[in-house]
Formats: sequence, structure tokens, C-alpha cells
Amino acid sequence: MKKIEAIIQPFKLDEVKEALAGIGVDGMTISEVRGHGRQKGHKEVYRGREYTVDLLPKLKIEVVVSDARCDELLKTLAAAARTGKIGDGKIFVYDVAEAIRIRNDDRGEAAL
Amino acid sequence: MTPPCKDPILALAERSAGDKLWPAFPSGLTLLAVGGYGRRHLFPYSDVDLLLLVAHSRLAQEAPDAISSFLRTLWDSGLRLSHSVRTPEECAEIHDQNIELNVSLLDQRFLAGDRALYARFAGRLPRFLHAQRDPLMRNLTRLTRERHEKYQNTYYHLEPNIKDTPGGLRDYQLVRWLAQIRNVEAPQTESAFLFLARLRCFLHSRCGRDNNALTFDAQEQAAEYFAAPGTAQWMREYFLHARDLYRAAVREMESSEAQSSSLFAQFKDWRTRLSNADFSVARERVHVRAPHALASDPELALRLFQFVARHGIRLSSETEQRVAAVAPQLAEWFSMPRPVWPALREILSLRYAAEAVRSMHDTGVLRAIFPEMAQIECLVIRDFYHRYTVDEHTLVTLQVVASLRGNREPSIKRYTDLLSEMEEPALLLCALLFHDVGKGSANGAHADASLCAAEPALERIGMPRPERELVNFLILRHLEMSAVMNSRDLQDPATARHMAERVETLERLKALTLMTYADISAVNPAAMTPWRAEVLWQLYLLTYNELTRELETDRIPSAPSESPEKRAFLAGLPMRYARTHTAEQIDAHLLLDGLFRQRGVAVSLEKVEAAWRLTLVTGDRPFLFASVAGTLSSFGMNILKAEAFSNSQGTVLDTFTFADPTRTLELNPTEIDRLRVTVERVVLGRQDVRQLLQNRPKPALPSRNSQVPPTVSFNPEASDSATLIEIVAQDRPGLLYDLAAAISAEGCNIEVVLIDTEAHKAIDVFYVTAAGRKPESAQLEKLRDALRRACGG
Repeated sequence: MKKIEAIIQPFKLDEVKEALAGIGVDGMTISEVRGHGRQKGHKEVYRGREYTVDLLPKLKIEVVVSDARCDELLKTLAAAARTGKIGDGKIFVYDVAEAIRIRNDDRGEAAL
Repeated sequence: MTPPCKDPILALAERSAGDKLWPAFPSGLTLLAVGGYGRRHLFPYSDVDLLLLVAHSRLAQEAPDAISSFLRTLWDSGLRLSHSVRTPEECAEIHDQNIELNVSLLDQRFLAGDRALYARFAGRLPRFLHAQRDPLMRNLTRLTRERHEKYQNTYYHLEPNIKDTPGGLRDYQLVRWLAQIRNVEAPQTESAFLFLARLRCFLHSRCGRDNNALTFDAQEQAAEYFAAPGTAQWMREYFLHARDLYRAAVREMESSEAQSSSLFAQFKDWRTRLSNADFSVARERVHVRAPHALASDPELALRLFQFVARHGIRLSSETEQRVAAVAPQLAEWFSMPRPVWPALREILSLRYAAEAVRSMHDTGVLRAIFPEMAQIECLVIRDFYHRYTVDEHTLVTLQVVASLRGNREPSIKRYTDLLSEMEEPALLLCALLFHDVGKGSANGAHADASLCAAEPALERIGMPRPERELVNFLILRHLEMSAVMNSRDLQDPATARHMAERVETLERLKALTLMTYADISAVNPAAMTPWRAEVLWQLYLLTYNELTRELETDRIPSAPSESPEKRAFLAGLPMRYARTHTAEQIDAHLLLDGLFRQRGVAVSLEKVEAAWRLTLVTGDRPFLFASVAGTLSSFGMNILKAEAFSNSQGTVLDTFTFADPTRTLELNPTEIDRLRVTVERVVLGRQDVRQLLQNRPKPALPSRNSQVPPTVSFNPEASDSATLIEIVAQDRPGLLYDLAAAISAEGCNIEVVLIDTEAHKAIDVFYVTAAGRKPESAQLEKLRDALRRACGG
């Protein structure tokens, strides 16, 4: 099993959700996060003060899938989240040792 | 409720006690029913509360096996038992940490056992209640307020817990307990109790456990079970009952507090001096002196809510009922077009506007003025995002705006500042009142439907057209910014351009940003995350910068369809000019332009609302803007707003909006002409403004705590051809003259000016050039020092 963690542009959420639903991935965790990568922040001038936007608002999506589905999901996710510009975000893939459904103790891929 | 002929629990307890308990305790032990069982309000699957009263604690320790064996029998027979073992002494103590024990005794009754012991205990109980009345009431009230707080102090929840949410069964019990402790009669709330009691039986049976959550599923099933015409209608009935209970609970708590502490009462009663000819204030409540006049004098009702909005004191329950009773007559009176807006505007501008509007809503007065609001009363949006019913959401948006005032939280303070920059916050509140009214109509986008409902209503109350335009804009576009936040790339310059095109002016942008802030915050208590507040603020900043950039850059191209004079006049003026002026105003300016061509200068002076406006058309020359500002100051006028525009022919159009603090112009009509002539003479160079200013009275020094530290900043990137100077400083008479003169003295030319005042703070934006280009940085440094000095006075 793999855990896929993607940092994406907030406005891309609907597209990403739809694309994932299109390949049958419905379950995901979404959180509002702030951060920066190589895009860094930028500066805005307002009321005479420089207003540094160093941490940009992003969304983090987390999905756990079976190894077999991982590549398809990565392709779909990247295609949906891409604008081609700086700040599109990143995707990280982790190995998952175990998954347990708390309700009935299902284990492994059955718990996904 | 009538007790059943034979209580099966009692039968069970008697049987079990006969086997296990009485052999070990022939005397000295009594079985009491307390809590819900004690008051004979036992619901299916609810706990059965038993109190084992023992004569001495020693007794219970001697035979613990008998007691636990007795309890086990009951437990094994399927009762959810909740028990305690106490001595009469323990029952007659205040338990601050376990107020539930004290409260449960209020519902006690004898079940079985030692009657003499019970008689001793029951004899002491009233004395205890009387002696400990104040701490008991205080603890009960504290617990209830904590519970209400947990549910945001509102009975409107889309999935309420019918026991604990405000207006739930707990509030019914609270009302009765408080009345019992105070030894007064409890208010009538039986119909609400019966509704909730039936519902609770239904919920418990449905789940097979003690579950009081009225979820969406449960609502649908309950509506069907109770044969209601529809789920929404049935929920409306629920809310009406919950409202009755909640109000009764709040009233009882307030009466208890007033009674329980004379000091508290004294503190609250200082407000009686706010009483006036119409209203009196007693015990922190407003009373109408002549309540019968409410029916014949609808304006009295408006004055009443102005009073509430000004002082934040709520209506007494008697006044509430009186006002509610005359609501139908008020509705009839308000249904005719009448100039109600000035009174409403005052209510909406005052500090406690949100409280006043809530009170108007609760008494039916809001619906009397705006029958359009009836569409959303208790209207339920059945999804998981919207926490409140539509009318409650609307009231919460007003509270959100009120909570911005004086907020120092860094992530929120910027919205607070934005609010203080609004010229007429009442218009924002008015737009919020109507923004979701369209949700009550069946089809289409609700913003359009809201606008359809608002337009005739605002016309009926006599809101002037320019103000109506802003309100209409806000209602129609209230979803625009949240839509852009969710679906557009903020870093894409097209997003800022799109937003700027939609809002057109800074004034509208500020209002729409605040509207969006309030709207999102009022969806549910967690909806406005710091993350969202940040995204909204970024969208505001980007659009703000886009609008100020185009202020200088985007000029009106020539318009071939217009007359040659008009075409020549408009060509090269900023786009902002066309957006912020009506066709009539542009025509008036065109007339002034004609006059200027004949005489070298044209000035008009008119009264607008509470202020005056001077419009000047002339040829550009150094010190022009400063001279006019100085002339106005020399007449003691206080400049609130100023704008300067120039077109491609070098014709300058300056407008100054100013206040006349000493009413010179109003009281001496000849001064109006003298002011106009003086401005003309100064512009034509026949009079020296410095001479005029020598006689000007010294400005009063601002008080220490209202000092605004001056900031002077340059932004050379904002425009292609000019440098933007933004100055925020303590306002004072003559400030604008000093600033403009400093800029001109450095040899700079003022291209565009936007002057704004918020209370004692002046926010001035100048676009300046030197010799047709952006000034050099050395020149700007000298200018910065000069401007700082000018700010200091």
C-alpha cells in the first residue's frame, strides 16, 4: 500500500476531486495548510507597508491506495493539479505498513 | 403527567429490596427517586436515578454487600441504573463541584424504606433550599450559560440535540428548578415540553438507546411519524418551541441573577439614568413609558430599537410582548412607501446594531418593515455546511461585523481597519440583511432572487438612489469573492483584473470584502479559518493594487459617439472618473468646462447631505491643488474627501467634499458666494493663499491616545508614468494644504489625488510626476522628509 500526499493549489481542489472520483478514488483527507517551496513568497504593498506573503495558502490531499493503483492515481492527480506554472505543488509517495478499519478490525487493503 | 397505575420499576425495586436490602437494614435506609425518575419524566432507555439515603455513613460501610447485591439485581433486570448513597447531612451541603447532586434533590420523592428518616430529611430540605438559594441559583445559572455557550447561544442548529441545545429539555427543567428555588410559579412552557417529550420518546425508541440528536434522518422520520405536512414545516415547529423555551430560560436566569445579588443589581441599575421621555431603563431592561402608544405611533417602535442599538440594553419581556402584539398594525403602516431609511440607517450605524436587529426580528418588527424576510424565517438549508437556518445566519452576519469593531487580533484587525474605512457601514448591514432572502424562493440563483426582493423594499423605505446602488451591487455580487477564492488562481494577473472589473471601485471592493468575510464566518463557527481569512485578504490586496494601479494608468480613450466638446473633455481622464460619476454629474462638469474656457476658472459649490462639495475646473498650474485646499482651510472648513483628475488637454477637475463644523455657510448664505469668489481669485493668482492662512485659527492638539503615527510611503511600480505616494497621518485642519504644498514645493506635479478621512485618521494617495516623468529617488527622499514634517504640523 502507498500513501500519497499532494500539496496543491487551492483552486485546483474541485478538478482534482473530480479526476480522482473518475478513476474510482473517493476517500481522501484534505487539510488547509500554508507553506512555501521554491516558489517562495512574494511582496504586496498595502497602505505603504510591505506586506510579505511568505507562506502561501495550499491544500494538502492525503490518499492511501493499493500498490497496483498507485501509478494511475499519481498520473491522474498530477494532470488535474497542473497549471504548468510555479507553485503548482508537489506529490510525495510513502510506503504504508498496515491499515486497520477501527469499526471491524479489517486489515490491509481490505481496510482501504 | 399522570402517574401510571403501577410503577413497574417501583415494583421491581420493592421486590429486590425485600430480598436483599431490608434484611440488612431494618431501619436507617430510605430509597428515593431523584432526577428524571423523581419528577416522573422517565424516557425509554434513559437512566433511572436512585438515591439511597442512609442515616449514618457508618451504616452503609457495615453492609456493603447488601447494597451492591440489591443494585446488581436491578441492573441485571435491564434497568440503566444511576445511583448514589448519601447521608442527610451530605444532601444539605453545597457541592460546587457536583452541582448535579444538589439539583437532583429538587425532584426527589419517596419510594420505600425508613419513613422516619425520610421525614427528617424532607423537613430539612426546604430550609436548605432557602438558606442556600443564592449559591444554588448561581451554580445552576453558570452551568446553563456554559452549556448555552457550547452551542453558540442559539437555538438554531440544523441538527440539534433536543436535550442540551438552547431551547432543549434541559432549559425546560432549568426554568422549573429556578422557579422552585425562588419559590415562585414557573412560566407556562408545557406545550413546548410536550412537543419535546414526545419527540424524545420517539428518538430513544428509534435508536434503542439514550440518543437525543435530532439528525437529518431523524428529522425526516419524525416528521412522518408525527404526520407533519413536510420536514421543513415540522422543523419550523420545533424551532418555535425551542425559541419559547430558550427565551423562558434566559428570562428566568436574568431574574435570578437580579435577585441573587444586590450589588449586581446596583451595578446594573446605574443605567436607569439613560431613561428618557419615551423609555425607562430598570434592571438592565428597556420599558416603554406609554406602551399603548405603540399601536398608534409606529415611529415610537423605531425609536425604541434606536435606543436598543445605542445602549445595547435589551427589551423587557413585557415590552417584547407589547411590541410583538402590535406587529400586525406596524406591518400595515410600513407596507406604504415611507421614508423609514433615515431611522433604519441610524439603527444600523449604532454600536449595538446587531442586538437591535435581532430584537426586531424576535418581535416580528423586522418582518413588519420587510415582509420579504418572511421567506427565510426558520428556513432550513439541509446540508452539513450550513449550521444555521437562513434567518439566523443573516443575524449572525451582523454580529460578525459588530465583533470586528475594536478587534486587535492580528489576522482580524485588518478587516477591522477596513470596516473603519467604510463611509456608511449601515449600507453593508442592510445588504447583509437581504443577501440570502432569495433562498426562500424556489428556483434559480439566490443572489438574483435576493436582489429582486430587495429592490422594491429599499425603494419603499426611501433609500436614496446612490446608496441603493451600492446595496444592490453587494447583494447581487455577494458570492463573487468566495467563488474566486475557491476556483481561481490568485497569482494569475487575470484574477485580479477579473475582480477589479467586477467591483470597479475601491469603495465597493472594501464593502464586498467585508461582506464576504461576514458571510463565510456566519455559515458555521469554524468556517472562517485563519487560512480562509488569509486567502480572502490576499484577494483583497491583489484587487486593491490592481484598482490603484489602473487609477493612473487606465485612461478614458476618445469616445467617438459623444459630442466634440464632451469627447475633448473626457479624453485622458482616468477610468475611475467615468465609473464614479453619473451622466448628470458629467454633464454638469461639462458646463463648468465651458465656463472655464470663457473665464479661466469655473467653481461650483453645493450642499450634499451633511457636507458641502466644491467642484473646480481650470487649467493646470503649480500649487493649484494646494491653494484650493488652503483656501478651504482658511474658511475653517474640514476637508473630508478630495479627488483631482486631469485630462490630456491639461484641464484639471478637482472635487473637495468638506464639512463646515461651525455652520458658517449655512448660517451666513453670503459666505457661500464669498468662498466661491475667493477660490476663483486664488486660482487666478489674484489672492495669495498664504495670506489667507495667516489668520486661520490654530488647530486643537489631538489627544494623546488618538495619535496616529504618520507613515509616508512611495510606490514607483504602481503606475507606468507616475509615482504613488501614500500618506496615513493624524488628521487636522490644513493637513491637506500642507501636504499638497510640500509636493508642489519640490517641483512635483499632482496627477491624481484620493483623499479619505476615517475619524481622526487621514489616508491620502497622491500620484505625482516631475517634468512629465516619475520623480528621481533623490527628489523622493527630500520629499519624504518634507511630507513627514508636514504631517507633524
